[in-house]
Amino acid sequence: MQINVTEPRDGVAVLRLDGRLNMVSAAQLKQAVTDTVDGGCARVVVDLAAVTFMDSSGLGALIAGLKKARQEGGDLRITGVTQQVATVLALTNLDRVLQSHDSVEGALHGW
Amino acid sequence: MALVPEETRLQALASLNMLDTPREERFDRLVRLTRKMFDVPTAVVSLIDEDRWWVKAEAGLDGITEVPRTQSMCTHAVDTDAALVVTDPAHDDRFRDNPFVTAPDGVRFYAGEPLHTPGGVAVGALCIVDTKPRELTEAQLEILRALADFVETELARTDEIDRAGELQRNLLPRKTPNLPGYQVAGVCLPASAVGGDFYDWHAVGDEFQLVLADVMGKGIPAALIGAGVRSLMRGASRFNDLETAVNRVANAIEPDLTETSTFVTMLAARLDPRTGMLTYVDAGHGIAGIVTHQGKAEQFDSDGLPLGAPAWEPWRAEQVQLEPGDTLVALSDGALDLFETIDEAREAIRETIVAARDPQEVVDIVATYSKDHHATDDVTCVVIKRNES
Repeated sequence: MQINVTEPRDGVAVLRLDGRLNMVSAAQLKQAVTDTVDGGCARVVVDLAAVTFMDSSGLGALIAGLKKARQEGGDLRITGVTQQVATVLALTNLDRVLQSHDSVEGALHGW
Repeated sequence: MALVPEETRLQALASLNMLDTPREERFDRLVRLTRKMFDVPTAVVSLIDEDRWWVKAEAGLDGITEVPRTQSMCTHAVDTDAALVVTDPAHDDRFRDNPFVTAPDGVRFYAGEPLHTPGGVAVGALCIVDTKPRELTEAQLEILRALADFVETELARTDEIDRAGELQRNLLPRKTPNLPGYQVAGVCLPASAVGGDFYDWHAVGDEFQLVLADVMGKGIPAALIGAGVRSLMRGASRFNDLETAVNRVANAIEPDLTETSTFVTMLAARLDPRTGMLTYVDAGHGIAGIVTHQGKAEQFDSDGLPLGAPAWEPWRAEQVQLEPGDTLVALSDGALDLFETIDEAREAIRETIVAARDPQEVVDIVATYSKDHHATDDVTCVVIKRNES
């Protein structure tokens, strides 16, 4: 999986993922969020539009990232949620805590 | 290492569960590496069974899988539990008549290091063979030993994972509970030797408690967390109502789940067998409900979060009445992956329950279906049916 991290703009970093978010790439995402938050940017948007598949390990990495961001007083929001990702989120009711937005701009709104 | 009686040696060999298993890349790459490092035509990982030399991995042996033990040179390394180096076997009384030596282009050089079980019993050998006589320096012999250590690590790994899997299976309920008026069945199929799913059932006073949980992820890390959740639930359930028990367990395990960045979805339910009243807490489990005696599916509709979710909300218990002929079913999401959509999966399980004779047949069908479709995630299914009055 490819992760493209944009330089924080207005205190928000955008992580664009491309590929399968599973057990293998979950560690990669967790590390990327940790690096971003430890680098001083606790507001993170994860763009999932190009994620072709996400399993529970991938969801675990998003949740770990959310916890990390909140610990540092920030938040993690997601955008570009596909049908498959939405299903995984809805099944565990975690769509209630992981805020999904229609676009990156929408996710940035209100920060 | 001490020599042990042959009977003990064979038991140690059997406990590895390695004999007659297929070839595996993790061993193949070690023999390829060994062959290259020593620049020899042949390298072999073999085990010495009672009366045969069995090949686990080979490079340059033309696919030989076993020969009688009497023809094996490796058996000498195992019998003496020491490195064996034969620089000219054609002139060595032990090997001059060996078919590998007398064959055209026969063996003219052999070096073997014994392979041990985690308990230190020699059960096989890593060997290198050449058709030309050659010598081995002390330093080269040390390298061969180091490579044998790698092979031993791989042998032990299988052994430990299999044992962990066996232990995990023993933690599942082994008996169908004595629950007059109801039939209960469950199955848990880990995708690998161990898994992150489990189910558990036991009596709590006059009631019957069922827990089905799915730890995010797979394999050993998930299994360790799962065993913790199971024990906590058992402990907390004895003295608390279900809602309190779940909340206390969630509280207790929260730091561990945060530390390991994982979460657990769980359905915990308590049934009063006299009335059919079912109290349940759904912690993000999502795939549980009742198929009524009329064949209608009623999915549990709950918004409870998984244990370890990044928000703290108390979990609330819900109640539902299990009427005569009604069936409670809970599945882990590994079963859902086998279908295109959740609705398709739910309809398939509803149809299965309506058509099946009893809960055991339902879980058998789920198990067979998962195996036939090569489920890549753990699959767990528990079914409780209240008999027709």
